[in-house]
Amino acid sequence: MAQNLSSSSLLKPLLRDRQMETDIPSGYGKTESYLLPKDPAWMFLFWEITQSTLDFIRSQYGETVLKAARTIIRLHDVTDVALFNGTNSVKYYDMPVLLEARSWYINAPESGRAYIADLGYLTEDGRFILITRSNATTLPPGRISNVIDDKWMIVEGDFQKLLKLSGADYIGLGASELMQVVGQRWKLTELTPSGAPTSWSSFALHLDKVQDEDIWLNADCEIIIYGSASKNAIVSINGKDIELKDGKFTIHRHLSAGDIVDLPIHARNACGDKTRHIEIKALREQGK
Amino acid sequence: MGQEKGYLALVLHAHLPFIKHPEYPDFLEEDWFYEAMVETYIPLLSVFEKLTEEGCDFRLTMSLTPPLCNMMEDSLLIDRFRHYLNQRVELSEKEIHRTKGTEFEGVARMYFDKFRRYQDLFENHYHGHVLQGFKKFQDMGKLEIITCCATHGYLPLMVHKESVNAQIKIAAHDYRSRFGKNPRGIWLAECAYNPGDDKFLREEGIRFFFTETHGILHGTPRPKYGVYAPVYCPETGVAAFARDMESAQQVWSADSGYPGDHRYREFYRDLGYDLDYDYIRPYLHSDGVRRNIGMKYHKITGKVSLNQKQAYNPWEARDVAAEHAGNFMFNRQKQIEYLSTIIDRKPLVVSMYDAELYGHWWYEGIDFLEFLFKKIYYDQNEIKLITPMEYLQIYPENQVVQPSMSSWGDKGYHDVWLNSGNDWIYRHLIKSSERMMNLANRFPNAQGLLRRALNQLARELVLMQSSDWAFLMTTGTAKEYSTKRTKDHIKRFNELYEQIIGNRIDEGYVYSLEMRDSIFQQIDYNVYSTSSKEAVLAKY
Repeated sequence: MAQNLSSSSLLKPLLRDRQMETDIPSGYGKTESYLLPKDPAWMFLFWEITQSTLDFIRSQYGETVLKAARTIIRLHDVTDVALFNGTNSVKYYDMPVLLEARSWYINAPESGRAYIADLGYLTEDGRFILITRSNATTLPPGRISNVIDDKWMIVEGDFQKLLKLSGADYIGLGASELMQVVGQRWKLTELTPSGAPTSWSSFALHLDKVQDEDIWLNADCEIIIYGSASKNAIVSINGKDIELKDGKFTIHRHLSAGDIVDLPIHARNACGDKTRHIEIKALREQGK
Repeated sequence: MGQEKGYLALVLHAHLPFIKHPEYPDFLEEDWFYEAMVETYIPLLSVFEKLTEEGCDFRLTMSLTPPLCNMMEDSLLIDRFRHYLNQRVELSEKEIHRTKGTEFEGVARMYFDKFRRYQDLFENHYHGHVLQGFKKFQDMGKLEIITCCATHGYLPLMVHKESVNAQIKIAAHDYRSRFGKNPRGIWLAECAYNPGDDKFLREEGIRFFFTETHGILHGTPRPKYGVYAPVYCPETGVAAFARDMESAQQVWSADSGYPGDHRYREFYRDLGYDLDYDYIRPYLHSDGVRRNIGMKYHKITGKVSLNQKQAYNPWEARDVAAEHAGNFMFNRQKQIEYLSTIIDRKPLVVSMYDAELYGHWWYEGIDFLEFLFKKIYYDQNEIKLITPMEYLQIYPENQVVQPSMSSWGDKGYHDVWLNSGNDWIYRHLIKSSERMMNLANRFPNAQGLLRRALNQLARELVLMQSSDWAFLMTTGTAKEYSTKRTKDHIKRFNELYEQIIGNRIDEGYVYSLEMRDSIFQQIDYNVYSTSSKEAVLAKY
């Protein structure tokens, strides 16, 4: 395309920038954590813990206590708690976690509640040592409210009819088609020179759901593989070398319907004469 | 109130992420904008013009998102689009001669006529500024143009309310500068609503927004009218209108949706692949790779392979669009008639779609809309097209319900924008948002180069926050581009941030970013200050 750019000197800094490696930092050097809502049942927690924070905690409590302690997420239900002080939650739930994972999907015990996640050590004698506290997040209820409005009453039978008409049975389902359609649209500009795919017919969309007239099922799956290896080891997953951060690695993977995941994990030393091997397999089947 | 039994609010969401690459003479992903211009936005204006000439009144609500408005007014993109359109006119004219006497003669003539009409509208009516066209119909009261989050940012995943405040304020400011008044409505990106965010809408004079069906159905207390009347948010009184699923399914459904009709145009069989290479070469990108060029001569035909598709007949397809428009209207009449027996006011059906569905994906969707507007206006009295503001004037009293957190994405919440394929971005989005807010607090009165750097920092942040990147990572399409865009903005943000706090701002670097990431020329980084956010929240 013959396009005049207003100034050729303009191009230089732009091109220079274009060539810069698009590496982004793995962290920002601050101990902190954030909790995000995903849906009525799930939240996403991610964190960063600096070495100096760990050193400080170690100096306070001693190496022995921490070695024997477990690392956990203590999930506090802080619904209607005006100011959370670490102990005044409605209740809390503990779940084991690997600090090196740096993020975690948390299954919420109850929808529609507000939560704060504390990350820390649970010592052998039951003490909790806080490393970092997240922001608070409130999950959606995921259901029809029980609260009835006196001023806007409706006959129960009529309300049930309205719900049905409003599409209560299809909540969250209609949109998947939309996403597929829009997704396809973007794909088009990416087609390779080998030509347009020949087997597509318009609107032959593959929906990742099982649907019948009156019942539907929706399930999803993600797998997290994490581990560690000696610092001099070269680790590969499925034949591809991966980068270790302080000897640790984490991999998240989404599992679509019909996916078979076979992930051989290999570790080898630099000269390749010492190896270790672990294989992880997962299968997601979809019945008819 | 007239004799109608109920109302239909048609809502089109027009959006594309801000894609502009001045550093390249031509750039593949910019085509998304040119295609949408020639297949959806200008064709819609063409229909509005035609209806108005004929005296057929209509009502439509349409979001024109700030990134889209910025692209429509960008001189580089306007020039490139002009070139794109000229090429289409040129090729379609050649095609009239090439196809003479063949079964493709009619469709070739159709493209030529359409491209010429769009070119005439673009050049002679709107003088290269299509926003003027949309504004014209808004000023006539037929079209309600609403805004969107500044860069289609996904509000429920923003931890710092400073960022939510900024997404709304930047959008509202941009809207005012283009349309000369406050936006009365907003399309929350992906219909993603987070309870309480309506406070930031109210502050900018925004009176209504849209949610997915369960945004209202799962609201508290129970919504008396289901999704067939809007509700008011507590405290703010901002109205929420929810999507009707039945009319959505009719158009979107893979099995029974209109766009799958075998007589409609086949999307995947494109001249870019069919024609002789040397002949089509000038109309391809500079890399010479065969791609879709937007001209297609075949119909869907049936479940056959692409090389077995039959010739497209534009007149036949237009008749089908008329038939489908009639069917759509009939179904709304029946739906409204039935709803009237259950609820004690005139029901409102809100039908929401991506604008680009019409014309780009479903080629005849534009004809469908034209016929639908005409049929509703001329052929019946039972339903009436309406905008949300008109509805609120008829029914100013509405139930107060706290809508539920929700989105119109797959599964109804945030899964599409937060999953193992894209969750890594939030570490950076949230950190950048925190850094931006800290700098805005620290430098409330920056001048000169520092001010430019802070404003550019704000641009990098909003561009990073476009929900489109996370969406594309999930769908797996344009994944490389969307990942790169996210990383580029993170990297530019961090580089600029380090320069600012290190008191070593490189003017050349700031300039290069201003040229490239040039969205929101009038941005003011102070919208990120905590005091700006607190000023809103202090009212409640």
